[in-house]
Amino acid sequence: MKKILILSLSCFLVIAFFASCRKKVEETPPPPQVKEQPKVEKVEKPPVKEPILTEDEIFVKKSLEELNAEKPMMVILFDYDKFFIREDAKPILQNNADWMKKWETVKILIEGHCDERGTEDYNMALGEKRAKSAFDYLLSLGISSDRIKTISYGKSQPVDPGHNEIAWQKNRRDQFTIIEK
Amino acid sequence: MIAKKIITLSCLFLVSNFSLYPQQEVVMSIKEGMPLIHVAIPKFSVEDPSPEAKDAADILYKVISDDLKYSRVFSPLPKNYYNYIKPLDPDKILFNDWESIQAKLLIVGQVSKQDDKTIQFEAKFYDVKSERFIRGKTYQAEKSILRLAAHKFSNLMMETYGEPQIFTTKIAFISNRDGSNELYMMDYDGHNQTRLTFNQEKDYMPAWSTDGKSIAYTEFKGGNARLYIYNPFEGKRKLVFDRGTSFGPCFSPDGKKLAFCSTEDESNSEIYAAKSDGTNIKRLTFNKSADVSPSWSPNCREIAFTSDRGGSPQIYIMDAEGSNVRRRSFGGNYHDSPSWSPTGDRIIYVSRVQAVFDLYILNLRTDEIIKLTEGYARNESPCWSPDGRHIVFSSNRIGTIQLYSIDYDGANLKRLTSKGQNKLPDWSQK
Repeated sequence: MKKILILSLSCFLVIAFFASCRKKVEETPPPPQVKEQPKVEKVEKPPVKEPILTEDEIFVKKSLEELNAEKPMMVILFDYDKFFIREDAKPILQNNADWMKKWETVKILIEGHCDERGTEDYNMALGEKRAKSAFDYLLSLGISSDRIKTISYGKSQPVDPGHNEIAWQKNRRDQFTIIEK
Repeated sequence: MIAKKIITLSCLFLVSNFSLYPQQEVVMSIKEGMPLIHVAIPKFSVEDPSPEAKDAADILYKVISDDLKYSRVFSPLPKNYYNYIKPLDPDKILFNDWESIQAKLLIVGQVSKQDDKTIQFEAKFYDVKSERFIRGKTYQAEKSILRLAAHKFSNLMMETYGEPQIFTTKIAFISNRDGSNELYMMDYDGHNQTRLTFNQEKDYMPAWSTDGKSIAYTEFKGGNARLYIYNPFEGKRKLVFDRGTSFGPCFSPDGKKLAFCSTEDESNSEIYAAKSDGTNIKRLTFNKSADVSPSWSPNCREIAFTSDRGGSPQIYIMDAEGSNVRRRSFGGNYHDSPSWSPTGDRIIYVSRVQAVFDLYILNLRTDEIIKLTEGYARNESPCWSPDGRHIVFSSNRIGTIQLYSIDYDGANLKRLTSKGQNKLPDWSQK
């Protein structure tokens, strides 16, 4: 028993000795290289105070893509197989019409879309009727007809690829795209 | 089995072409319900032992066998029948042997390598009973287009029997496999799928011109949906109509006219007809309802179309000038996409029942309706093959929208595409 203890202790000591030796070898660092710090010149430009743009100026500055990305005109939704303007779409169209009245140079494209539960052919006609419904409603709110174009995409451009009522409802829609400003 | 199915079909129809055996004075008139012509196709002999020639022989053999099986005119004999008789010796054909295994026709093919690229294929077919040579031809083709050489020989057999040569026809379609919806075409059997437009715009609803050289289609671009006629072989494109949303083209079978839809008047879709080059446009329908999906009758005197003038989309037929409109679909509230068969007596269309779309064939003579698909899916956009025996359509039965072909009696359902979503097929006449 004692022998084993002494043996293991001496083993331990030997291992510890070597380990410490190795460590020492590792610890000797190479002589540090003398690095000359480059002199940094911070290039600065005197800041120009950004002018506070008016709403009109911001509008002019924006590209059509930027403008459309903000979605100033909201999508309206339709019932299955139907193209009449629903009650919940009326305030949206009012809002869209107000926006068009505010920016009188804007011309828009109304895109009529359908869900996948109609045929390719008939949905092309239905999509166009949906666009026409919004067109007529905007006209009744005083927007001039030469500011609006319509197109149908049928069911070829769904926003939601799902196959459930939530997706279908999202896809039965009119989208309003600004094409001129 | 297939032969039995055909015999049980009650309705017969005549195919208009009659033709002669070149060397036998037999007038053939092929009827639906005619028994299939049993064809023996022993393996093609290879003259030189090069692996290229052997591979070529295998391809040619497979394509011709598949074509004839698909034809519903010929029926290749089961391969094990050939075990009962001596192998074919092209120089000394033992016709009695072939007759003993029920062969009516015998195809003899020889394949040889011309040079590194070219294969020569000599094919003949014989009438077994009379022991006579009927027709034959020698084809030279590069290895990459061997399938075309095989299709051409299958066509030769169809032509001999007064049948439309469907094996070199093409199917145009729309696919989004490379991102946006672009125009594609493929062989009738789904091979050689080729992209035709690279415009990064959305292309829609293609239709072949009658000569099979151009495709009319809609391009959505910059808020417009314009109708074009595009010749992919020459790369030439011509604008047909740019007012309203213009779509749904269909060329008349005589090649003279192009019918299409446009919403130019008050956003209401109406049907128009132009000369086949897109000029001289005349409006055919005038009413407050939507009229879409024109399809010409084979004699070009009438047009089938969809209209919701009765409150729901239904199939109607009108004279080619737009007069004499009559309703042809009843008993449902959503029928669309009629396609008039080249045999003239049938219209295939889509019927929607509770958001499930299936294809139905209306027999115009008997008013009989056959339900063709049972997909629990959206089976759409049917289009006939030029011989009226097959139909190509789109279906989402596997989750994505793919193209399928099926025979007029529901047999031989086959999926043709698998990459991306593929839709709106149109089968060329030539």
